[in-house]
Amino acid sequence: MRCLKTILVILILGAGLLAQDLRLTASVNRNNITDKDLLTYSVTIEGIRDFPDVPPPESQDFVLISGPSQSSSIQIINGQMSATKTITWQIAPTRTGRLTIPPVTVKYRGKDYATGAVTVNVSGSTSGQSQARSVAPAQSAGSDNRKDEVFLKATVPQTTIYKGAELNVSFDLYYRNVRTFGRKKLPDAQGFWIEEFPAPSQPNITNETVNGVPYRKAMIQQIALFATTTGDLTIDPLVIDCEVVQTNQRRRSVFDDFFDDSFFNDPLFSSTKVVTVQSAPIKIRVKPLPENGQPATFSGAVGKFSIESSIDTLKTRPDQALTLRFKISGSGNINSLQLPPLNLPNSVEVFEPKIAKKIDNKSGEIRGSVTYEYVLIPRRPGLLSIPALTFAYFDPETENYRTLTTRAFNVRVSGNASSPSGPSAGLSKSEISMLGQDIRFIMREPTTWRKPHETVFSQFWFWLLNGAALLIFLGAIGLRWWTDKLESNLTFARRRRAWPKVQARVRVLQERLAGNDTADFYSQLDQALIGYIADRLGLALAGLGPGEIEPALRQRLPDSDLVKATLKLLIRLDEIRFLPDAIADEEPAGMLKNVRELLNNLSKVI
Amino acid sequence: MRLLRLLLPVLLLTSLLFGKPEAELDRLFQEGNAAYQAENYTESIRLYEEALTRGYACGPLYFNLGNAYYRTGSVGRAILNYERAVRQMPNDPNVTFNLRLANLSVKDKIDVPPPFFLLRWNERLVNLWDARGWAGLFSVLLLLAVTGLAVLLNFDLGRLRPVLKSASLALGLLSLLVILLFGQKYRIETAADQGIIISSAVSSLAAPQAASTELFIVHEGTKVKILDVDEDWLKIELVDGKQGWVPASNIVKI
Repeated sequence: MRCLKTILVILILGAGLLAQDLRLTASVNRNNITDKDLLTYSVTIEGIRDFPDVPPPESQDFVLISGPSQSSSIQIINGQMSATKTITWQIAPTRTGRLTIPPVTVKYRGKDYATGAVTVNVSGSTSGQSQARSVAPAQSAGSDNRKDEVFLKATVPQTTIYKGAELNVSFDLYYRNVRTFGRKKLPDAQGFWIEEFPAPSQPNITNETVNGVPYRKAMIQQIALFATTTGDLTIDPLVIDCEVVQTNQRRRSVFDDFFDDSFFNDPLFSSTKVVTVQSAPIKIRVKPLPENGQPATFSGAVGKFSIESSIDTLKTRPDQALTLRFKISGSGNINSLQLPPLNLPNSVEVFEPKIAKKIDNKSGEIRGSVTYEYVLIPRRPGLLSIPALTFAYFDPETENYRTLTTRAFNVRVSGNASSPSGPSAGLSKSEISMLGQDIRFIMREPTTWRKPHETVFSQFWFWLLNGAALLIFLGAIGLRWWTDKLESNLTFARRRRAWPKVQARVRVLQERLAGNDTADFYSQLDQALIGYIADRLGLALAGLGPGEIEPALRQRLPDSDLVKATLKLLIRLDEIRFLPDAIADEEPAGMLKNVRELLNNLSKVI
Repeated sequence: MRLLRLLLPVLLLTSLLFGKPEAELDRLFQEGNAAYQAENYTESIRLYEEALTRGYACGPLYFNLGNAYYRTGSVGRAILNYERAVRQMPNDPNVTFNLRLANLSVKDKIDVPPPFFLLRWNERLVNLWDARGWAGLFSVLLLLAVTGLAVLLNFDLGRLRPVLKSASLALGLLSLLVILLFGQKYRIETAADQGIIISSAVSSLAAPQAASTELFIVHEGTKVKILDVDEDWLKIELVDGKQGWVPASNIVKI
């Protein structure tokens, strides 16, 4: 307190403020401190009567130990009233060096007012305790011999942990003469889930010598921390108030020997004072869980767990509820346990699970269990299979993932669903009249065996009938066309009728020859032959002789022996007709045969 | 006639080579019937199904198989076989009766609005005969109409001519009508998109994935229309128009 020096930084904002002149001031009780000391930071508001809320200073370099405490005063000087309000916090530095407390901003009537920044020099600690902080009470600043009569030490087993792993922090009070202590503030730890162990009702007190000074040591608080994020995190200090017994520095007298016994040294007879002690903040490095080998079903459980599943029955009826339970128990971050989703068939109705968490902090580590209770209602008969559930957790001790699998259940759901609509719902009258009846009896004889997917298109008769229809249709059209042509086209008709005509004549001649009627035979034969050729070639019959036939035949058959043979025969026939002597060496039958052969040959080409 | 004489040995030969094992089929059919009468329905199902594995079937076989399934309580398969029997014998009162009776046990009662009366008449007319019958009638009518036409074209009939003319015209129009009926019946008979649910209850999902949303449940025996196939999933449509995906193993095509 002797070197107490106050920096006042006055910042006046809003030049237009005349009537209500708000002044905001930030100050600290001293500027040069060690990293074990506490700092009192005050913000003073002057000039107005309705005071706005003032937020605490925010800085990485300081932690808030206590506060805010407020005091206000009203003064009337020369008839002018001035009101002052002071808000005070206890803060502690987290590192050494020249530290700056940033300005605090206050919002008042829509305007922002800011204090100035305050700079504090923090020197390194003089005490050898790295994780202990002792604060000399202000009153005893003069008596250095009492400075370290009490201090608080926070201990962690390790400073690097996995995310989600349990970290036990114990706070030990080192003291020489403390009557009672009261916890002022449980450490705050951003990024941690904090679970408190019950404070021992009778602390176990041991003797320990620190830097040659004998202390009594009592474990006063133990907490378990589970990191919920990764990175560098800080465990804030634990602050307690101790009632320290003051040994009075009296002049030794004769009575001293008398009084100097255990009875009069009893604290009851001594005066006490309250000392605030806090531990040092602890930096913890939180590692993310290894990606390597992380099971797909992993949901953040870290510790040591076991899982069991149970079901109340394996045989049920539709629409009757079943209870399916999963219980995860063990030690670790019970609070962040999550059961992987159930994969149930659609035939079953699942209700939101009832989740019961039980945390046991009595055994030096955080143990507990989470019970998921599902109510299932199968909606239809059959085998309901409840698949096995896989639960994965990370074991920070062995640093690997473990996977647990529950039992799978097969529930037999038998009987009929008691649905409100009975079997006769939605039936028509005629259908209801059928209800009492039974199916008709089987058929005794098979019908024709067919391939099931054989259609009529693979049936022979189908194609036969339709083919016949087509043939008849085409035939009828063709016939009609034929007859039309015969009637309308004479040349065509002669050509078409030439063959039957000549055949008929030859047949007549043959009959006459058989009856020895040779009169006019050659003449008839000649006419039949010429008539045929004329019909086929479309020549006029009148005055037709070999001379007229030859060019027409030659034109039709350019070089063929048949023309010569035809002419030869025609000339021969003419000879016989006009020179009766020539008949003598000629056989009528042979001639007829020649003519028929010739006709046959001609019919193939003309 | 000469053509027939030529074809006959060929037909005989093919029927010998690829002939129907009729004796074997008849035996299985009768054995199945005997097992049915002895109330040994599972055995009769086995025998009937074995006959089906030979690649041949007939209406009575499907009917009897449907009866056997009905007796064992498999309504879905009973309906499936009755439906197949109906395709073979559309007018058999026993088949239609048993099909109606089996359909009473189907849980899904889907209300279908009655069709327009003309459509109803048309449906009745179409179902009067099977496709084979309609095809035969068509062939005969066509043959008669064509013969009438041939006679008209090529012969002078005198006073009979107008009579024959109107007769063959009527026959031609009739054959056109019959071929329309045949077409409908043929489509019904060869429809490959009809199926029967054979599992007691199936969830119909919104997508062909097991984890997808359940839309509705169809029960055994319900007749569905198959709209689409995706690997092991079928997209079905109920008579009332509801659509969903169902695992293919739950449905047998008629």
